[in-house]
Amino acid sequence: MRTQVRGKMSGHSTWPEWVYVGVVVALLCYVGAEAWNIERIIEHVPEDAKLIKVQGQQWLWTFEHEDGTKEIGELHLEKGKAYKFEVTSKDVIHSFNIHDYTVLMDAVPGRINTVWFSPNIEGEFPIQCREYCGLIHYNMRGTLIVEDKGA
Amino acid sequence: MKLIISSGVVLALLAILPSIQYVLAAGDSTGEYLDRRVEIWGLFYRLMIVAFTVGTVVSGMIVWLVLRFRESNPKAKPTSYEDSGSW
Repeated sequence: MRTQVRGKMSGHSTWPEWVYVGVVVALLCYVGAEAWNIERIIEHVPEDAKLIKVQGQQWLWTFEHEDGTKEIGELHLEKGKAYKFEVTSKDVIHSFNIHDYTVLMDAVPGRINTVWFSPNIEGEFPIQCREYCGLIHYNMRGTLIVEDKGA
Repeated sequence: MKLIISSGVVLALLAILPSIQYVLAAGDSTGEYLDRRVEIWGLFYRLMIVAFTVGTVVSGMIVWLVLRFRESNPKAKPTSYEDSGSW
């Protein structure tokens, strides 16, 4: 009886609708799996990555290398090496961004966030704060200088 | 129904299993590092393809439904309950 009522109300075959739902669900599964996969891959820090401590403050960036060398506003890295950044802030929330290398990580007071990358092109690249942090936010910039020591 | 559900599970596994394999295979070898730009922009473009595909299918379906089931369509005919006047 129930089947008859359903058949009368729909008046057509429902299998195309289930195919439609199945395709959309499969695509959503693909999107989730791919995004999760890439996130896991890029968060996998190489064991030999060199540590750089990054501190943001109104309105400049400070960098400290493993050997204790400090740089302000400029960061010198070697081409082909991996670097792990520990990013924090001294005052308000900033965001550490090297656009050309798709590096972006929030700098939060009292918290250390990590991000890593390996520069593979020589040259100078802008570093920019990407979180509004006060009057001179627009000019809270630095320069990444990638050098090829082997050349 | 069982066929549909099992097909859905198989499709989901086909998407998820290679991802797990990729993650487990993430290299620890020194000297070769992945390029974030390639990975992130590659993901962006793949997801944009999915987004536009879904958008095309959904909007195409809506356009087809509106045109096919409009009252003025020569193929239109009342449903059985419209025809009989009782629900």
